[in-house]
Amino acid sequence: MDVASVKVGSAMDAVNKVSEVVENDYVKKWKESGGKVLGYACVTTPPEIIDAAGILPYRIRALGNPNTEIADAHLARFNCSFCRSCLQLGLDGTYDFLDGFIETNGCDHLRGMFENWMYVKPADFFHYVKVPHLTTEDAMNYYVEELVFFKEAIEKHFGVEITDDKLKAAIARQEAIRDRLRQIYSMREGSSPSFTGAEALSLFLLASAVPYDDFIELADKAIAERTGTGVTGYRARLMLCGAATDELDLVRAIEDVGALVVTDALCYGARAFWSPVSTEGDLVKSLADTYLKDMLCPRMYEDFPRRRDFVLNEIKKADVDGVMVMHNKFCDVHGVDNVQLRLDLEKRDIPVLQLEKEYGSRADIGRIRTRVQAFLERIGGKS
Amino acid sequence: MPVDTKLPPGSGLFERIQGLFEIVLDVPDEISDEEARGVIDVMPPDVAHTLEAFLHPRVRTAALAFLKTVGVWLKNAKEAKSKGKKVILVPFNFVPELVHAFESAVPLTSEILSTLAGNASEGKGHRYWDYAMGIGIPDHLCSASTIELGSMLSGHDFEADAIISCTAGACDANSKIHEFVSNYLGIPQFILEKPVDDSERGIEQYRRNFFALVEQLEDFLGEKIKEDRLREVVEYCNRSSELHHQLWELKKNSPCPVPNIYNMFIYGCRFTQWGREEAQRAMQIMVDEAKRRLASGEYPAEKEVARVGWLYTSYYIDFGGMFNWMEEQGYTQLFDVLDLFFPEPISTESRETMLDGICLQARTFPMTKQMGAESMSLAWIDDAITMAKMLDANCGVFCGHHACKQTWSVISIVQKELMDRIGAPVLTLQGDAWLSGMTPVATLQANIDEFIKNVVAKKKKVKPRARARTEG
Repeated sequence: MDVASVKVGSAMDAVNKVSEVVENDYVKKWKESGGKVLGYACVTTPPEIIDAAGILPYRIRALGNPNTEIADAHLARFNCSFCRSCLQLGLDGTYDFLDGFIETNGCDHLRGMFENWMYVKPADFFHYVKVPHLTTEDAMNYYVEELVFFKEAIEKHFGVEITDDKLKAAIARQEAIRDRLRQIYSMREGSSPSFTGAEALSLFLLASAVPYDDFIELADKAIAERTGTGVTGYRARLMLCGAATDELDLVRAIEDVGALVVTDALCYGARAFWSPVSTEGDLVKSLADTYLKDMLCPRMYEDFPRRRDFVLNEIKKADVDGVMVMHNKFCDVHGVDNVQLRLDLEKRDIPVLQLEKEYGSRADIGRIRTRVQAFLERIGGKS
Repeated sequence: MPVDTKLPPGSGLFERIQGLFEIVLDVPDEISDEEARGVIDVMPPDVAHTLEAFLHPRVRTAALAFLKTVGVWLKNAKEAKSKGKKVILVPFNFVPELVHAFESAVPLTSEILSTLAGNASEGKGHRYWDYAMGIGIPDHLCSASTIELGSMLSGHDFEADAIISCTAGACDANSKIHEFVSNYLGIPQFILEKPVDDSERGIEQYRRNFFALVEQLEDFLGEKIKEDRLREVVEYCNRSSELHHQLWELKKNSPCPVPNIYNMFIYGCRFTQWGREEAQRAMQIMVDEAKRRLASGEYPAEKEVARVGWLYTSYYIDFGGMFNWMEEQGYTQLFDVLDLFFPEPISTESRETMLDGICLQARTFPMTKQMGAESMSLAWIDDAITMAKMLDANCGVFCGHHACKQTWSVISIVQKELMDRIGAPVLTLQGDAWLSGMTPVATLQANIDEFIKNVVAKKKKVKPRARARTEG
């Protein structure tokens, strides 16, 4: 099938419908039945701990929301527009369904976002997980303790006990979710990928926004529906790298001009699920290993070679023709990392398009489309 | 290493600045107006303009002492390699006395070099910034570090032997550019992380991180810090700290006898030569001069109209146009965020007490303390309010350095809390504190002038609303 006319099957239809809204029907149903929902934003937050308490972990997103009017009265124009978009949705009531928040010091903008959010609209439950920027033994021990405090804070506030058995079961559930995502990503590696980049993102967003059973059901249907089918007729196979982006419209715009996104190293993407959590030994330590030691994020200041190697491996695995490295304007961690990545990839003769963009800005889409078109022309690509 | 550098050999920032400061070292401690004019007139326009501010009669004595302090610092770095020493590049919020405690190393502070380039070099440091932009570094990085590091990246500047990065936890921009330079040039990087955790546990973690850094440096340099040398360094630190506290006391007077530009001299000493005789000497001269001015009632304006706390950094693109101009209008700059260090005397009893004392100062360093806190706004607000009350400030100015995402992200909270809790209005400017191209000084002056004339000077005494933030 052609990239521009991918048949939207019923399962993917359902997935897209859920992924395109913040408070989806599954969350509403969960809340109506008395369930609690906790919001987190950063990949250094293990959702297993929330899940083990019987609470729905929900990854905060802005879904390309371009309106930041309320947020801009608090954060500044010099702050990342993704964080401003999320703050906007927090302050305008979109996130009122959340029963609390988990903050991490993921980056300076994220810290500012939560600080303003809680200043203007304090939550009943708010817990700050302090995440080191190094993975020395001492730093890892500190993070393990932080995860214990996180667990205890949930137990105390929500009056639940998170036993090892419950944590083990939650790890198994989250691992099953990650397995589906890995499978979906693997199905994009061949010459006729079963999912477009936008669809993969949609499925990723679904995974951290609905209860476990619902995700498994929808994901399995989508996988079954797409097994044996494939996208053809694209001009080039791209990999997306860079900043936090949950912008379905952006990925669609890239694919609309003939590219096919076959893999990524995004915060809302592959960086969040490749590393499995071991259920051997100390469970909290296992979580710490996955969520900090194995994490691939430019907030870690000694880890560039590992991040680059992950990208190189993905390029090989998914037979990538070119790499787009993107960052939201004012994002320092990705802005600088992307330069290093571009230089390293270019040394290896891998074509790279480095792009700075405004998050969610529809006005930016035309420019991005033109840049991608030019990039596709530059790299040629397969037909 | 890039092949096509736009900067010819010998045009690196350090080389150019160090060359200029060689001349400063030969200037007598006291010079006449005529001699000052002679020095200014032979300088290129950009440098001459800066010197006008430094050699103004009312600040000249302290300025020369400060410039010589910096001159010696640069000379030590220049001569380091020939003397078998290593040059350690540090950020502004690192305690240079730790490097001074080694016989085999000298510290160079990237932000100070950027500031010097922006003021004492023809072209104001823009060429180095442009070089970094040419590689692809985003323009929202902080010019304070990127100007100097841009020069290093060109391959035509001095090459540091190692980099200490200590903004992990306090500043992403600074941490990332140091990481980039380390990778790009293959220079080892040592990271001192400040956990965003002000509990006892966080403090202890920082202490362990600090002592781990000491060990790493000792291994790298092949030298264990000697207790006698450390004691000598710490004794200089203690004397400079005492002088710093004396300057705080002097600032309580109105009109303020401490000239605006001294604020920069103070932290200029702190970030470069703390723990050395040169910094202590410059601090002593500032204290003596301020006392003399207090006794003689010297103040450059008819009256002190505003006592301003600069909540973030100052502007470093035109010293005469900012520091001197403000006080000539009667606008006293009592402090900026970089002055917010409150060193306690360090016990010289043992190596451990001395290192512990330096560790405490590192943890409570300007910006590390505020932006590296659990809440970026709470510690900042607390310090700003404490200082405003102590020094009787009646307004605040936020310079709005565009690259500082942390301060920009919470300035709305700080602004509101300062008004609510002490009735101090805060002006928010926008610009780049180290690059002159973003907002002209004339515009900044006009904004400050309007704010003080229309808001501060006309403000009636109002009782602050009884509202205080608590930890959430």
